[in-house]
Amino acid sequence: MAPVISINGFSYRYPDGTDGLYDISLDIAGGEKIALIGPNGSGKSTLLLAMGAFLHGHGSIVVDGVEANKKNAKQIRRAVGSVLQNPDEQLFMPTLLEDVAFGPLNMGLGDEEVLRRSMDALGIVGLDGMKHKAPHHLSAGQKRSAAIATILSMNPKIITMDEPDTSLDPRNRNNLTSLLKSLKQTLIIATCNIPFAAALCKRAVLIDSGKIIADGPVEEIITDEKLMQSHGLETAAIPESIDF
Amino acid sequence: MHHTVMDHLSMQDTFLHRLDARSKLIAVVVFTIVVISLRRTGVGIIAVSAVGPFAMLLVGRVPLKLAALQIGCLCPFIMIIAISSAFYDRSVVTIAFGAYELNTTQGAIGAVAIFARFAVTMMAIIALSATTRLSDLLAAFSSLGLPKILVMQIGLLYRYIFLIIDRACHMLGARAGRKLRYLGLRRELSTSAAMIASLFATSTQTAQRVSDAMMARGFDGTIRSLKKSTFSIADTVFLAAVCAYMALLLAVKGVI
Amino acid sequence: MHMPNEILSLPVAGGSFAIAAVGLGTLCRVASRTISSEKASLMGIFGAFIFAAQMLNLPLPFPPGASGHLTGAVLLAIVLGPAAASVVMTSVIIIQCLVFQDGGLLALGCNIINLAIVPSFAGHTIYHLIAGARKTKFRIYAASIIACIAATILSAALVSIETAISGVIAVPFVTFLAFMSGVHFVIGIFEGVITASVLAYIYRARGDLINGVAGGSPRLSKAAFIVTLAGATIIIAVSISLVASAKPDGLEWSLQQSTAVSSESIETSTPGPANGWTSLAAVAGSALTMIVIWLVSKIFANRGGGKCITP
Ligand SMILES: Nc1ncnc2c1ncn2[C@@H]1O[C@H](COP(=O)(O)OP(=O)(O)O)[C@@H](O)[C@H]1O
Ligand SMILES: [Mg+2]
Repeated sequence: MAPVISINGFSYRYPDGTDGLYDISLDIAGGEKIALIGPNGSGKSTLLLAMGAFLHGHGSIVVDGVEANKKNAKQIRRAVGSVLQNPDEQLFMPTLLEDVAFGPLNMGLGDEEVLRRSMDALGIVGLDGMKHKAPHHLSAGQKRSAAIATILSMNPKIITMDEPDTSLDPRNRNNLTSLLKSLKQTLIIATCNIPFAAALCKRAVLIDSGKIIADGPVEEIITDEKLMQSHGLETAAIPESIDF
Repeated sequence: MHHTVMDHLSMQDTFLHRLDARSKLIAVVVFTIVVISLRRTGVGIIAVSAVGPFAMLLVGRVPLKLAALQIGCLCPFIMIIAISSAFYDRSVVTIAFGAYELNTTQGAIGAVAIFARFAVTMMAIIALSATTRLSDLLAAFSSLGLPKILVMQIGLLYRYIFLIIDRACHMLGARAGRKLRYLGLRRELSTSAAMIASLFATSTQTAQRVSDAMMARGFDGTIRSLKKSTFSIADTVFLAAVCAYMALLLAVKGVI
Repeated sequence: MHMPNEILSLPVAGGSFAIAAVGLGTLCRVASRTISSEKASLMGIFGAFIFAAQMLNLPLPFPPGASGHLTGAVLLAIVLGPAAASVVMTSVIIIQCLVFQDGGLLALGCNIINLAIVPSFAGHTIYHLIAGARKTKFRIYAASIIACIAATILSAALVSIETAISGVIAVPFVTFLAFMSGVHFVIGIFEGVITASVLAYIYRARGDLINGVAGGSPRLSKAAFIVTLAGATIIIAVSISLVASAKPDGLEWSLQQSTAVSSESIETSTPGPANGWTSLAAVAGSALTMIVIWLVSKIFANRGGGKCITP
C-alpha cells in the first residue's frame, strides 16, 4: 500500500536561525496511528506544522500524492486536519457550532450538509448538547474534544494532533484515548506522555534535536530504557488495556 | 470584571433571552432615539420612559443593583457636563408638580433632564447586553449589514478578551507580589511599558497561531457563515409592545 | 472620551453615523487588503490586547490617587497602519458600548470617528513623519508624544464640535473646547510617553515582531498623509469658524445667549404650572406600573428560580 505521507530528507530552519528539523525521512501508511514522541523542544510541533504545509523547508513532503508546498497548501490542508496544541487557539468562533461549521463552510459545502457534518462531529466527541455554548464556557476536557470536532467535521484523511493529552485529568485522558482509538483516519499524535502513546498507537517515532532517533513498534521503543532515558523520556510497561 | 458578569447574565433563560437579537437591538435603538428626541423635559415624561427599560431589566432577571452600580460608575462625565451646562443657562422658570410650584432655572431643569435621560438609556442598553449573548448580537449585526470582516474581528476580540485579560491579570498579580510600594513615576512607567510590550508579544504569537488554526480549516479570506433566522411570534409580540410603548411616550410628550 | 447619547442631537448622531459607516466600509476593505488572510485573526486579537493593556493602570504622582492607562489607538496605528488600527479600535469601541455600556448606542458614529478613525490616521501620519527611517530613542519619544498629543487634541476638538452643533448643552463652544483640549493635552502627553516606552521596548527586544506583524513595517503612505491632512484641516477650520462666530468674551456671550433662549423656551417646551397635575399623574402611573411589574417578576422569580441554561 502506498504511504499517505511520505517525507524525504526534510530540513527546516526557523527564521531566527534555530534548527527545527534536520534530514527527516518518514513514510506513513493509510490508517496508521503513529505516536511522535520526544522531549520538549525536540521538533514534534515543527514536524506536524510541516505536514500541514505551514512551514516550507528543504527536502520533500508528499501528502496523499501532493507535494506540500506553498502553492498546494489549500489542497494539503483538506487532506491533513491539524489539531493544534492549544484548544483556546483552535476554538476562535463565538459559539461551538460556528466553530465546528467553520471548516466545512470553507470547503464550500451547502448549509444543510455543513450542519449535518457539524452535528455528526459534535456527536462523535459527545458535545452535541452544547452547540450554542461559547468556547470560554467549556472545561479543559471539553475544549480538547471540541478542538478535535472542528477537524472531524471536515472529514480529513489524516489528522495530526499536538500534545492532545496536556491539561487533562486521568478520566478525560481515558475518554480521549477511547475517542481517538475509535477514529478510522490516519492519526499522527505528538506527545511526551509515554503511557498515553502506548495505549493508543502501534508505531512510535522518537525524535530529538530535530532528528529521528528511532522508528518502530511502540513496545520496542518505550521499553528500551537506555534509549528513552538518554532522550529525557520515561519508560513504560505496555498496558493490557487503557487504564492509567 | 464586568464582561464576565454580563456574559453570565446573558446565559439565562427568560422571555427576553429567547427573543431574536435583532428585535431587541431595534427596540433599544428606537427607544433611545425617542428618548433623546425629547429635548427639555419634565419629570412626567421621564417617569413614563423609565417604565420600559425597567420592565426589560426585571423580565430579563438583571439585578437592579448591577444596573444602578453601572450607571453610577459611568455617570461622572455626563454629570460634569450637565452641571456646568446648568451654570450657563440661568433664566428663571417655574415648574409645577401636582399642587407644588417651584422656581428654578432653565439650566437646572436641563441638567436634571440630561442625567435622567442618561439613566434611562443606560438601563435600556444594560437590559440589551444582559439578555443577549454576544454571539447572537454578532449574528444580528451581520444580518443587518455590518461588514463581515468587522463582525469577525469583534467576535475574535470578545473571544480573546477572556484569555488575554487573564494573562494581564497574572502579570499584574506578579507585579503586585514583587513590589510593595510606589516606585516613582519613571520606574512605574518602565515596568508598565515592559508589561504591555510583553503582552503585545504574546498577543502576536496568539494571533499567529489562531490564524494558523483558521488556515488549517481552509480559510481563504472569504468569511462564510451559516444562515440562521430565529424570528418568532414572540418577537412580533415584543415589537408590537415596543411600538405601542413608543406611541404612548410620544402621546405623553404631547400632553406634558 | 466616550460620548454618551445625551449630549448629541439626532441629526448629529445620524450624520456622524453615516460618515462613520461610509468611512469604515472603505477602511475595512483597505485593511483586509493590507492584512493577508494568513493573519486573519490579527486585528481581533489585537483588539483583545488593547482591552488588556487598558486594564494596566499606572498610578500617577499628581493629582494624588489618580491613575491613567493607555488607550492604544496611536500605538496600533504605528504598528498596523491606520486602516487596520481604525478597524481594531472600532471593534473595541463597539464592545465597550455593548458589553461595558461605555459610550452611547446613538453616539457610536461619533465615537468611532473621534476615537478610532481620527487618532489612527493622525497618530500614524505624525509619528512616521517625525520618526523617519532612523529610529533613535529620542526620535521615537518625540514622535510618539507629539503624535499622541495631536491625535487626542483633534479628538477633543471633534467632541467639542459635535457637542456644539448638537446644541443640547448650554456650555459655550470656546469654554468647552478649552476645557477638553486642556485635559486632553495632559492625557496626550501621558499616552505618548507610554506609547514611546512600549515601542522602544518592542524595537529593542522584539524588533522581529514589528516587521512580522503586518507583513512588513508599515510606512507612511501618501493616502494616509492626504486623508490626515484633509481631516485635520476640516476639524481646525470648523473649530475656528465656531470660535469666530461666538462673541470674544465667553461670559458675556453666554449671558446673552441664555436670555435669548429663555424667552422662547418657556413657551415651547418648559413644563409650566398649568400641567403640574398631568406630571403628577404620569409619575404616579409610571411608579404604579413599575411596582406591579416588580411584584409580578418577584412572584415568577420565586416560582421559576434564577437558573442558567445549558442550551
Ligand atoms: N517560532 C519559532 N521560532 C524560532 N524557533 C522556534 C520556533 N518554534 C519552535 N522553535 C524551536 O524549534 C525547536 C523545536 O520546537 P518544537 O517543534 O516546538 O518542539 P516540541 O513541539 O517538540 O516541543 C525548539 O528548539 C524551539 O525552540
Ligand atoms: Mg510542541
